[in-house]
Amino acid sequence: MKLNLHNISFAYDHDRILKNINSSFISGNFYSIIGPNGSGKTTLLDLISGFLKPGTGHIDIDHVPISSLATKEIAKKVALVSQDYIINFPFSVKDVVMMGRHPYISRFSHPCAGDIKKVAIMMEVTGILHLQDRKINELSGGERQRCVFARALCQDTPILLLDEAFSNMDINHTLQMLALVKQSVKEKNKLVISVFHDLNLASSWSDALLMLKNGEIKAFGNSQDVLTQQTIKDVFNVESIVEFNKHAQAKQVYYPSI
Amino acid sequence: MILFSLFLILMILISLSLGYIKIPMMDIISILYGKISNNIQIMKNINETYIAVIFDVRLPRILTCAAVGAALAVSGALFQGILLNPLADPYTLGVSAGAAFGACIAILLNLSAAFVSVPAFAFTGACITLFLVIFLSYSSRNPMAGLSSNNLILSGIIVAAILSAGISFLKFIANEQVSVIIFWLMGSFASKTWLDFIAVMIFLLIGLFISMFFARDLNLISLGAKSATSLGVNLKKVTIILLVTGSMLAAICVSVSGIIGFVGLLIPHTVRFITGPDNRKLIPLSMLAGAFLLLFADTITRAVLPHEIPIGVLTALTGGPVFCWIFKKNRFK
Repeated sequence: MKLNLHNISFAYDHDRILKNINSSFISGNFYSIIGPNGSGKTTLLDLISGFLKPGTGHIDIDHVPISSLATKEIAKKVALVSQDYIINFPFSVKDVVMMGRHPYISRFSHPCAGDIKKVAIMMEVTGILHLQDRKINELSGGERQRCVFARALCQDTPILLLDEAFSNMDINHTLQMLALVKQSVKEKNKLVISVFHDLNLASSWSDALLMLKNGEIKAFGNSQDVLTQQTIKDVFNVESIVEFNKHAQAKQVYYPSI
Repeated sequence: MILFSLFLILMILISLSLGYIKIPMMDIISILYGKISNNIQIMKNINETYIAVIFDVRLPRILTCAAVGAALAVSGALFQGILLNPLADPYTLGVSAGAAFGACIAILLNLSAAFVSVPAFAFTGACITLFLVIFLSYSSRNPMAGLSSNNLILSGIIVAAILSAGISFLKFIANEQVSVIIFWLMGSFASKTWLDFIAVMIFLLIGLFISMFFARDLNLISLGAKSATSLGVNLKKVTIILLVTGSMLAAICVSVSGIIGFVGLLIPHTVRFITGPDNRKLIPLSMLAGAFLLLFADTITRAVLPHEIPIGVLTALTGGPVFCWIFKKNRFK
């Protein structure tokens, strides 16, 4: 499966957020998007998930334009773990995770045994099974993020988009979730695109890096090739030392203290 | 659910027996059974007046009242769901002000056949208001942000404020008709006919079907716009359909019985403590509870109190304090 972005531009009023983005993402790979605040990372994911429509250009999945698909069809192909995990009504954790099965359950019918089993498995692997009857708005930020994560996994899509999906999780849960995602990429040939702020996590977990700045792609390629002192200086405007770390089995970034 | 239905049926029977003329419960059951099974034999030895009182006076009023209560509660549940605000009610978008403005014009113009023209004008007023509010809060450039709950609530408040100033002006120039306007605004079920009941019932059934059709989508909307879309909810379509449905339900209620506050706010909010936030359970149960509560209130004002007071006043006077109590209790639990 191949996700293609052709000449994508997007603007709110007159502020151009994304400019002429061309790129392809191939399944079986874990991609990370990195870039400074306001560089258009979230907007790019919103366009792929169909929440926003590009001003120019188009996005297709295996040459099927997503603009030709109904919202429900897109939901069977692309799942998004977004940053809006504030939920207004006191649904239970189990109910929220079950909402991931929404695109597959027809109107007026109840979830089948398969749906219920899937929800239980995903709650188990994300470590929220013991919270299943708790109300979502009574949980901590990290626990809530894991619920949203479990919900996206229940959607069972070939493409998974993560918008800073780990921002509120502790390091233990972050690594668990990353291992889970990596496993599904390698074993089930899924395509994952994740927005990261932590360059070291991005480097050690992803196959390819996409660097965005001011709505333009500054670098896109193999993580170990793209991550250099020069690109970090160009994109983030910080001095850094980038070297291979044998424990991480990847390049890691260090910032000299002032 | 079954329990609530039984409560409602019991309430209807009790309400039928109470009033200026007390009718024994056994007679009511015989009359109803006789009418339904078309068995005239059963009704033979029952006082003719009873039959007339029940079929021409009480039953239409009671059923209209129950249907209005049900419609207001369903409408309230829809608005609370769409606007992501448990304190929204059917009148949040200014539908009541629009209906009141339309009714005032009809009363002021002193149109003939007032029993048709007032509801018709009220309904038209409500519809125009709704479309104005949606138009104000809709933006073609950024349609997703356009129909956000903040935009809708703000537009509703602005339109309602303009309309209530308009109503004040109409009252000012109305001279002796001002009392008619004021009484209409306070709401009443006195002298409701079968026609009123059928009108409300048609809207209620269609509205209930549409709300149940989109009930699961409404659950997902509470996850936020982005999550709901990524889970396959066509947000714009669902929002507009449910807004129109909720407003139409409110509009028909206001047109038939004037402005009755608190049912649409209080019922879904309270029922949510029993059912949880799942709209598939919340909407039907709110409907039954709304019918029950409004009928209870109407029976009190009609049969128990020495003098009939407007139902809108009664619901606000009793519902308000109850709401304060529930709000305080659950807030600081």
